[in-house]
Amino acid sequence: MVTFAAFLDERGMKRLYLLVVVGWICALSAPVAHAQDRAGATLRGTVHDAYTREPLPYATVVLQGAKSYATVADPDGCFMLRGIAPGTYEATCSYVGYAGRQVRVEVTGDTRLDFHLRSDNQLHEVVVTATEAQGPVAASRIDRTAMTHLQPTSLADLMELLPGGVSRDPDMGMANTIGLRETGTTDANGNASSDPDYAISSLGTLFVVDGAPLNTDANLQYSPLSNTYGSGSSTGTEDRRNITNRGVDMRTIATDDIESIEVIRGIPSAEYGNLTSGVVNIRKIRRATPFTARFKADGYSKLVAVGKGFALPGQRDMVANVDAGYLDSKSDPTNNLESYRRLNFSARLTWHMPHDGWNLRWEAAADYTGSFDNSKQDPDLNFGRIDEYRSVYNRSAVTNNLAFRFPSIAWLKGVDVNSSVSLQVDQLTQTRLVSPQRYALAPTTTEAGEHDANILFAEYMADYLSDGKPFNSFFKLKSDFLFTPGGVSNHVKAGMQWDYTKNFGRGQVYDLGHPLSASGNWNARPRAFRDIPALQYLAFFIEDRLTHAFGRHQLEVLAGLRGNMLPGLDKAYAMHGQVYLDPRLNAQWTFPGIRIGRHELVASLAGGLGRTTKMPTLNYLYPDKRYNDITQLAYYDDKHPVEHSRFTVMSYVQDQTNYQLQPARNRKWEVRADVTYAGNRLSVCYFNEITSSGFRYMGHYAPYAYKDYDESAIDGSTLQAPPDPATVPYEWKSKLASYRQAANGSLLEKQGMEWQFTSERIKPLRTAVNFSGAWFKSVYTNSMPVYYPVSDVVDNMPVSDSYVGVYDWDDGQTNWRLSTNLMLDTQVPEWGLIFTSAVQCVWYTRRQQHVKDGVPMAYVDVADGQLHSYTAEAQTDPVLQHLTIHYNEASFQPVTVPLALYVNFKATKTVGKHLRIAFFANKLLDYTPDYEQNGFTIRRNVSPYFGMELNVTW
Amino acid sequence: MKPNNFILAALCVACLYSCEQPVGVLQTSTGVTIQYPDQLEGVEVLEENLIFTNAATGEETDVPVRERFSLPEGLYNCVYTATITYRTTSEGATNRPAEGEAGDAHTQQPETVSREGRLSGKLEAVEITGGQPVTLTIETFLIGANDDFVIQEIFFTGTLRPSGSQYYGDSYIKIYNNTDHVLYADGLAICESRFKSTQYFDYTPDIRRDTFTVWAVYVIPGSGTDHPVQPGGSLLICDTGIDHRNANPNSFDLSGADFEWYDISTEPDNMDINSPTVPDMDKWYCYTKSFWVLHNRGFCSYALARIPEDKETYLRDYYYTYEYTQYLPAGVFPMQQSAYKIPNAWIVDGVNCSVEAARVWDVLPASIDAGWTHCGTIDHDKTRYFKSVRRKVAGFEDGRCILQDMDNSIEDFNTECIPSVIEEQGTAIDAQGTKAATRTWDGVMPME
Repeated sequence: MVTFAAFLDERGMKRLYLLVVVGWICALSAPVAHAQDRAGATLRGTVHDAYTREPLPYATVVLQGAKSYATVADPDGCFMLRGIAPGTYEATCSYVGYAGRQVRVEVTGDTRLDFHLRSDNQLHEVVVTATEAQGPVAASRIDRTAMTHLQPTSLADLMELLPGGVSRDPDMGMANTIGLRETGTTDANGNASSDPDYAISSLGTLFVVDGAPLNTDANLQYSPLSNTYGSGSSTGTEDRRNITNRGVDMRTIATDDIESIEVIRGIPSAEYGNLTSGVVNIRKIRRATPFTARFKADGYSKLVAVGKGFALPGQRDMVANVDAGYLDSKSDPTNNLESYRRLNFSARLTWHMPHDGWNLRWEAAADYTGSFDNSKQDPDLNFGRIDEYRSVYNRSAVTNNLAFRFPSIAWLKGVDVNSSVSLQVDQLTQTRLVSPQRYALAPTTTEAGEHDANILFAEYMADYLSDGKPFNSFFKLKSDFLFTPGGVSNHVKAGMQWDYTKNFGRGQVYDLGHPLSASGNWNARPRAFRDIPALQYLAFFIEDRLTHAFGRHQLEVLAGLRGNMLPGLDKAYAMHGQVYLDPRLNAQWTFPGIRIGRHELVASLAGGLGRTTKMPTLNYLYPDKRYNDITQLAYYDDKHPVEHSRFTVMSYVQDQTNYQLQPARNRKWEVRADVTYAGNRLSVCYFNEITSSGFRYMGHYAPYAYKDYDESAIDGSTLQAPPDPATVPYEWKSKLASYRQAANGSLLEKQGMEWQFTSERIKPLRTAVNFSGAWFKSVYTNSMPVYYPVSDVVDNMPVSDSYVGVYDWDDGQTNWRLSTNLMLDTQVPEWGLIFTSAVQCVWYTRRQQHVKDGVPMAYVDVADGQLHSYTAEAQTDPVLQHLTIHYNEASFQPVTVPLALYVNFKATKTVGKHLRIAFFANKLLDYTPDYEQNGFTIRRNVSPYFGMELNVTW
Repeated sequence: MKPNNFILAALCVACLYSCEQPVGVLQTSTGVTIQYPDQLEGVEVLEENLIFTNAATGEETDVPVRERFSLPEGLYNCVYTATITYRTTSEGATNRPAEGEAGDAHTQQPETVSREGRLSGKLEAVEITGGQPVTLTIETFLIGANDDFVIQEIFFTGTLRPSGSQYYGDSYIKIYNNTDHVLYADGLAICESRFKSTQYFDYTPDIRRDTFTVWAVYVIPGSGTDHPVQPGGSLLICDTGIDHRNANPNSFDLSGADFEWYDISTEPDNMDINSPTVPDMDKWYCYTKSFWVLHNRGFCSYALARIPEDKETYLRDYYYTYEYTQYLPAGVFPMQQSAYKIPNAWIVDGVNCSVEAARVWDVLPASIDAGWTHCGTIDHDKTRYFKSVRRKVAGFEDGRCILQDMDNSIEDFNTECIPSVIEEQGTAIDAQGTKAATRTWDGVMPME
């Protein structure tokens, strides 16, 4: 950690930007100037995957003829050879994992030559699974073809393709957040739960779409009843959909305009930051495609998507893609009261502009996603109530990417400028019929001090609006350099990134006198989001991809460093002026091929070690103020309740900001082995990562003073108006009350094995075998002591008003899961048929609650607000004994659920030229044996999930 | 069974048995052994009664106690009651254990006296099947002649607002002096059971036989003689002693109640109202920081108790922790809870509540209440609101009601009555605001 405090005051910041920009201009202008005028012809072209049309970076191109020339393509698959003597040449293009290609080319003047290489694995067939990446970074790649075959509703469905993934029924009634390399937290019933304490797992996964991140740091769509601050009284409708501090809701991402997805599970390149778990790198379709229309229907949803890629007339290298989609889904097919709808539209322009000495690829996009959650109470069950929850999300984004390539400059390969701006217009509205019990009190003021409370006598309709307008702008500058000192190839990437995010919304808008709940609303007050400062994120990175051959051995090292900081953060924060450095190292050693029989066996070993850092969100840095209100005078006049009753409260406005908050940091290491033989490939990975500073809200307790009025001194019969508190005797008292601060209090430890085996296609059966799986062990726990108030009331006094225990306990759990996915992929291209059968096994899941000692290490006493040790005498005190919480030892025993096996079938059939029909049946067959647990037989029920879709192409 | 199979079976049975037998139902020879309480000596039965009730048909059969009898096969509940005399030692000796050495001249010799008492015992869900002779054993308990308050009425269901939503805060418990002398309510505790009659677990330690596990203990204040109640008098103890019609026009006025259980809270989020006109009970313990409401679906049992310990001793020494295991479709969950306990000996009256469709067990043992009572028959029964359980009037003596007290709330209580306070005030009996027009002594017996 380096202190840049002096450098980063406001003027210092400007100076820094200036420095960066000037540096880049110098870097750019120098090489372009002198790389002119050489004799001979120029051969330029591109190298692409024949099927996916994806560029193949760093492919080798060799010209052999009278003289020989050679070059390596740039990251975008573009190459250029200059000064070629006219003549006829054999041009050879080669790329690892692809069949090389040789063509005869006659060079007379400037010539263009494009290579389309076919992957070894997909000479005639298509890949319908995720492919393990070849390089030193553990990543899975999911292509268009796999998506088409899987028939997803949203990005969330694709997660089953990752090692250890199994298919799940869609749950469109909740936010679908990502969990890479983990089991996820579970509730007491063993069901997956979205525990806000461990939200760092999904918050720390970076989603990048065409180079621009999906920034969710300014999402503040929640109500005072939600669990955003770690405890809430919501009915769950909101909590299931609340994505504040939880990252990206994958429901909102349609898959129909996606070309490929790379999920980086390992240590990502230093180019990617502000993350802890991994990266989901989405590339949209940017090529000429026929008009396609997709209609999907299953038990939960209906989906329509259309798209086309136009090669624009007159411009050979200019493509415009236009897509639109609509999804209408339900969380439960039999329930019409809860729905989720999504509307998305995207227009993209890709223009490749070759020039002498340099190329420019311009990628622009305008995207819109609308996401609409709606949930109503069942009027039959809720006294004809019209309670409703609606959440609307409208995101519009414009992305602009410029990629400059300099094939003629030996040491500068390219400069990339990525930028995007996005604006969300989000509205969360809730309507509730509130029925105060007896009478309820509502706050009347946002000021601290003593004031009257508003007595609510009757039922009322409460309306709540959270109006959020998160705005994000993103800018990234990156240069690629190539140095080859002593024959060692060094591809160096260096750059910087700047994000700005601010919420311009009106915020929480509601009538304080008629809050959303008659109980549970007192610690909040309306707040305008636009008053919250903006959040800026600045990062620089530098990375070297070193490749060198030692004889027939090949070494590839990816060493990078990234600095993360939050410029513009107030001096009061400990993070002010701090730079958090992420060193990251990945290396791969490829052994020489060993000939066994007719084929070569190629093995490689890889490993990595690195740190990643996620900065806190807007909500963690600028939480809502908490209002601690204490009833002082509570006079209810039974004769004239409306006219003469009076309730006053003492309000304390508690700033909940934790100025000591630090970023969440993850340390990861892994080792991998990869073996290829005769078209069969096995890769195995062991990983171990730990985040000990994950974000969570933690409670703190402090004494608050108030006046306890003696209402019995009020003679109701003489009152002409509400009693004047000045005439009522009182006594000063204090009670403990809580406030919650964001803290680095969560610890996540993930470790496990992941593997993927892909066979060569067995020719007579036309079938390839794919066997992937993972064993995960995930630990979720707290890394700091916890305050826990008990609810008991002893001798007329709530225990927690006077004493709150501090427990050095482990509120965590350790989960294990072993799952495999055996997929038989049968393809008969001449029939246009792809048929896959997947046997998905969850061999076991195990959950163990960590042992808790219910005896507090200390307790806060209201008398002095200090911590006191919890002695043996305290354990027998009539009041303090209630701080001891007893635990059933048996609840800390691990609970194991044995094998669950499901068989899924999917088929895609092309009919004629224009039609493709696809069908899937998940869990059509299952083997979920009954099992015994503590002498009880547990039976499991499985219901299949079907769907089909129609694709029209012309 | 398919119809033709049934006919076949019926024919077979008809062949095997004589024509006097009901066709198709086997008769089973049944005998009953009565097990008297261990601590009683010299039990002599004056009068006894054994009734078998067929759970399916509701048909009651009065059977002889001392001989074998035959019953049509089926599922039965049986109740045994008896009036007995027994020998016991005098009170002075039992309350004060002998001190000093044997042979001390001052040691009191236990004096044996003969007493009259009543016994009660029951068996539930007895399967009498197969025609094989059955012998049942019924454990019996001595029902002490109650010389203290009895629970006259419990209104736990609450009322509904005109919108149809629930309203809490107007629940109450009425207690009654059923004796012939003045009783003092000072120090009388009202307790709600921790356990629900709809969930049964094997608790460890299991102290249910002789101890009542409670999660709310509210005590009537007083020095011992502050709150006298005349014979035939009652006390109205309510949640919040205000005129609830200001908040809910369908509710009623409790500002004239005798006591309220006020929950002191400084949190405006969940505020209880302290009535200026109704004195508060002393809240010894409650499980919740917000306000205590009687279980409004009626799953809890209630008891009146005289706690012989002082408050501090009780709060220190009678808190205990138990463990149990919860079996759910999702798995097996070891659980633990802590609660206070009331020895059954302290209980002066208790009532079990449940609903038929969800009832699993009786929280209070047969020694306190051999039966159970209810408002509504299923969980979340929408018809239960505006209804209470009221103790039956057994007769009148010197112008006062004598309430029935057999320690069996099936016998002792009228169910789903219009609450007495609603009858007195003529307030609403449903969400539409229909006014009560009846006046009864006990929910059933009309007043002249």
